Amino acid sequence: MKILPALRRRFAAIPAARRRQLGLLLLTVAVLAFPFVHDNDADIDSMANAAAYAMLALGLNIVVGFAGLLDLGYAAFFAIGAYFYGVFTSFQVMPLWSEGWAPLAALGLVEKMSQGGPELVHFTLSFWLALPVAALVAAGFGVLFGAPTLRLRGDYLAIVTLGFGEIVPIVARNVDSVTNGAAGLNGVQAPKLFGWSFGIDAMPYYYVSIGLVALLIFVSIRLRDSRIGRAWMAIREDEVAASTMGVHLVRLKLLAFATGAAFAGLTGVFYVAKLQTATPEMFGFPVSTMVLVMVVLGGMGSVWGVVLGAAVLQLLQSWFLPDLTAWTHAFGELVGNAWLQRVDFVESVELIFGIILVVMMLFRRDGLIPATRKTPALSFAAQNVAGVQRGGFVGLERIGRWRNGSGNALEVRGVTVRFGGLIALNKVFLTVPAGGVVAVIGPNGSGKSTLFNAITGLVPAQEGSIHFEGAEILGLKPHAILARGVARTFQNIRLFPNLTVLENVLIGQHARLTTGPVGAVLRLPRTRAEEAAATRRAHDIIALFGNRLAPRAGQTVSGLSYANRRRVEVARALATRPRILLLDEPTAGMNPAETLELAEQIKSLNGLGLTILLIEHKLDVVTRLADTVVVLDHGEKITEGKPDEVRRNEEVLRAYLGRAVREAIHV
Amino acid sequence: MSEPTDPILEFQAVNTYYGDLHVLKNVCYTIGRGEIVSLLGGNASGKSTTMKTIMGVVRPASGRVLFDGAEIQDMPTSERVRRGIAPVLEARRLFPRMTVYENLEMGAYTRPKGAGFAQDLERVYTLFPRVQERRGQIAGTLSGGEQQMVAIGRALMARPRLICMDEPSMGLSPLYVEQVFDIIRHINAQGTTIFMVEQNASMALSIAHRAYVLQTGQVVLSGTAKDLRENPAIREAYLGELQVPGAA
Amino acid sequence: MTTFDLFLQQAINGLSLGAMYALLALGFTLVYGILELINFSHFNVFMVGSFIALWTLQQFGLFGQETILVGLPLAGVLLVTFTVTMLATGVIGVGIERFLLRPLRDVKGPAAMITTIGVSYILFNIILLTVGADSKNFPNPLPPLQIAIGGAVLRLREVLIWIIATLLMLALTFFVQRTKLGRAMRATAQDPEAARMMGVEVDRVIMTAFFLGSALAGASGLIFGLYYNFTSFLIGFNAGLRGFTAAVLGGIGNVPGAMLGGLIIGLVEAFGGQLIGSAWADVIIFAILVLVLVFRPAGLLGRLAPNRS
Repeated sequence: MKILPALRRRFAAIPAARRRQLGLLLLTVAVLAFPFVHDNDADIDSMANAAAYAMLALGLNIVVGFAGLLDLGYAAFFAIGAYFYGVFTSFQVMPLWSEGWAPLAALGLVEKMSQGGPELVHFTLSFWLALPVAALVAAGFGVLFGAPTLRLRGDYLAIVTLGFGEIVPIVARNVDSVTNGAAGLNGVQAPKLFGWSFGIDAMPYYYVSIGLVALLIFVSIRLRDSRIGRAWMAIREDEVAASTMGVHLVRLKLLAFATGAAFAGLTGVFYVAKLQTATPEMFGFPVSTMVLVMVVLGGMGSVWGVVLGAAVLQLLQSWFLPDLTAWTHAFGELVGNAWLQRVDFVESVELIFGIILVVMMLFRRDGLIPATRKTPALSFAAQNVAGVQRGGFVGLERIGRWRNGSGNALEVRGVTVRFGGLIALNKVFLTVPAGGVVAVIGPNGSGKSTLFNAITGLVPAQEGSIHFEGAEILGLKPHAILARGVARTFQNIRLFPNLTVLENVLIGQHARLTTGPVGAVLRLPRTRAEEAAATRRAHDIIALFGNRLAPRAGQTVSGLSYANRRRVEVARALATRPRILLLDEPTAGMNPAETLELAEQIKSLNGLGLTILLIEHKLDVVTRLADTVVVLDHGEKITEGKPDEVRRNEEVLRAYLGRAVREAIHV
Repeated sequence: MSEPTDPILEFQAVNTYYGDLHVLKNVCYTIGRGEIVSLLGGNASGKSTTMKTIMGVVRPASGRVLFDGAEIQDMPTSERVRRGIAPVLEARRLFPRMTVYENLEMGAYTRPKGAGFAQDLERVYTLFPRVQERRGQIAGTLSGGEQQMVAIGRALMARPRLICMDEPSMGLSPLYVEQVFDIIRHINAQGTTIFMVEQNASMALSIAHRAYVLQTGQVVLSGTAKDLRENPAIREAYLGELQVPGAA
Repeated sequence: MTTFDLFLQQAINGLSLGAMYALLALGFTLVYGILELINFSHFNVFMVGSFIALWTLQQFGLFGQETILVGLPLAGVLLVTFTVTMLATGVIGVGIERFLLRPLRDVKGPAAMITTIGVSYILFNIILLTVGADSKNFPNPLPPLQIAIGGAVLRLREVLIWIIATLLMLALTFFVQRTKLGRAMRATAQDPEAARMMGVEVDRVIMTAFFLGSALAGASGLIFGLYYNFTSFLIGFNAGLRGFTAAVLGGIGNVPGAMLGGLIIGLVEAFGGQLIGSAWADVIIFAILVLVLVFRPAGLLGRLAPNRS
């Protein structure tokens, strides 16, 4: 009996990465050996179905789990893939033969046929070719459906996708000539491999499905752990912050939608090839919901979780519920209860889906295998590994110097911002010289943050122009403005709360990296090098704050103190390689010592040549840092000058201090 | 410092969290009946959280909040309003698509309409003739100063014994700020206790009897307004975070 | 039938459908206006409502279209059926809110919406499993009175549907505009935190919104049965999508908007079905939804959602 604990200790001694490899190996062996161990065609078929649903769940997970876009009509893309393969391998659509078809016939894509009448074309698209092509076609539809709707608020998107999901089966039902309507496509060809047809035996489908699931898991993980995946998660966590960190919202949302659609299109080909028929009912709202239930059950955003969710639900339907029904009937017979003898749990599977959704949302929102695990807080010992570095940055030389031209970096000319009838900014002029520090002060509600929002493209300005390094940036989208080198922090801190410090800082580099979806999946040496360099740089930037942040790089931001969140926001902004840094009350919520420390750090950044525009209330910080102070009140610039001059300006005193001080001055 | 002997509101070692963030740290306040007390501090120092803790919008994790000697920290907001605490919220927060009159009605929400409603309405109209002129107008279309008057009037409609004000000067032009502060004094003279969060420290200290200074969620200083006004450290750090030129 | 007769007939049909959708849209709008939540369970609260109405009518011994009532018995049966149905669906709505949605009130993200999808599914399958998949004949005790307007026919049932829907909408408008709780509801919809600080018990307001919305969905389900003479476990989806589209078209959160949107959607369905074919009615409705959302997200009368700070 002492063997088990001993084994557990041995197991625990193996490094985590090794343990994962071991687990993966065992899983692979088990999955591959299954048909030999358990030679039952119906069960192997159930497993292949489960795999098909796992593929769908993996696709929906990219949309819902990674990017946070609730898609309730996901089965539409499944249908598109399915009908694509079905139409091009069945006898449904048969145009008249002409010589124009000959090249395709030579490629084996079509055959010449005649059934007593005229010569017709019979499509004979290969299964293996159909897989990637259908994925692309479905992705195309994803872009088509997504383009008008992905700008909508999240909840509207849900209902619009619900509608799309409903329309595709309606079209399938009513365009008889292509789809054979409600009766469904018949005679869809089974896949062939070197001339051998898969037929109706479950075994080959099983292995194909396992291969496809493995492929999609691989793609999912590669995407998740890349620049693309990080951008998706940033969108999920906070769209506004993501866009100001350089994430092109529309493009990345479309990419998520298209990738999810591609997975579904691929699955559609497989599923129809396996069933050799396609009817509109196979792709209705219940299917979309079932896939959603799988994702929710497994854990939104969790790759292995959704595979598990799909497997559990599919096997529940095909194995457990029929067994349970049989047992209940037997029990009913035993106790003589008529209802127990009649009840059929398989019919109530959708009821169970509904219950799963509700129960998971109420009690376990992160699913069976949560995508993110809460990182434990640092131990007291870990917090005290080294003395806190006060003032200045540590290792500043690693992040390089800024080279500035002469002249003005930023010129705000006569900018007016109105919200309805309220004038938030009224013809404001402001100039930040390259390499300088300008501070904006003014009472709360005087328009300071609105000014930052106008500069970074978050609110439209009705009048005026904003030039950065000589070019107009007013009217550009936030990500484009970031790309020019304008980075910011927010007064109310907008980090990505469920991501780690390191991930937050990596997202800051989004616009400076180039890896696309293909590169992320292939992960060629160039991508690896880029990613390694990005991570190195992120660590360098985090290390600037000494042991305030460095030991916490792997912690989720939501567990950090206020002051540390402010530091992460500065780090994230620095990671964007800004040409100008806009800091909105960077020291709010900090005590005097922390304030002083951050002020010194900002000063040292400026010492390296970084141009800074700063909103600040604490005058000692302003005096210490700024060359020029601009005072806003009621959306208007009331004065501008050197810190000392501004402090003596009577109008400023009136705006800021009100009557009490004026009385004190005049008395 | 002389603690008031007849407190209307007390915080006893209150700790408040937002998620993992520790926002109020062992905070103690004592607000005497009939006082004007200011709460000073920078943005994100815990001022607004104090207001929300009094009103019951956030609940403290530990500590006690006493109103009139009774523990209220676990009471719903509506019960606190019924007992006599009314808020003037940051940035006014009127109901923008309701008329001025309906906003005032909302102020009296916890009281049966018969019970002195007309009398209170009259009092608000006397205090703010402008509000009476605009009573049929949609609140969202008023100017900032007019909105602040309605916001204060709305609080008065609850016939409160304590009014909690969150930055009453925010976004107002100097003329309105003076008017608003005159009104606050006037309301206080009629017997209502005022607890006021203000960023405009000089202004706040000019009408307050006492004040607390909050920094990163902790009370770092407290005393009579006069003492604080003359405290050089306060002048440096908190008097509107601007120094008075030539030390006045 | 002349073209004009056809036009008139479709207008009559469209107004009846519109009354039904408007009542349904109000439930979406009341809840969305306060919580910014698309309540998918509303789809099937409507469907359940039609079955509760069916059951109530059966208690009066009404089964098919054969039994005709007139005068007081008719008025009594209708009054009781509407009351029972609306109370029952109202209670269902309140139960959903109290036990399943309130615990998620402060949870960010799609959790609450996903829960309503789950609830909708549960209601749908409970009816499917208990009542069965075949559609049920819905009793219609109204005398077959009708008048001909040209070639078009206006039946008593349509007139009745219009009257009942109008009364319900007037009552709701009165409640929202003139009562203390209605005012609290509007205040909560505009600024939940400020309303709470005025002493409004926000939980009670939200519960009221769910009760009223669900009760109106129940009335709408009853009207469905009276209009179509059948009901089925399937009717929630299409009607729900139309009701939601109506709410968005009018400006979600906007009570008069929901009424206007409902009428328009009803007319569009009637005329669109006539012109293009009823198989495509869903596509037309859905196209309207997407076009409104993309080009005029505030709807016809303006979107009214809470100002969240």
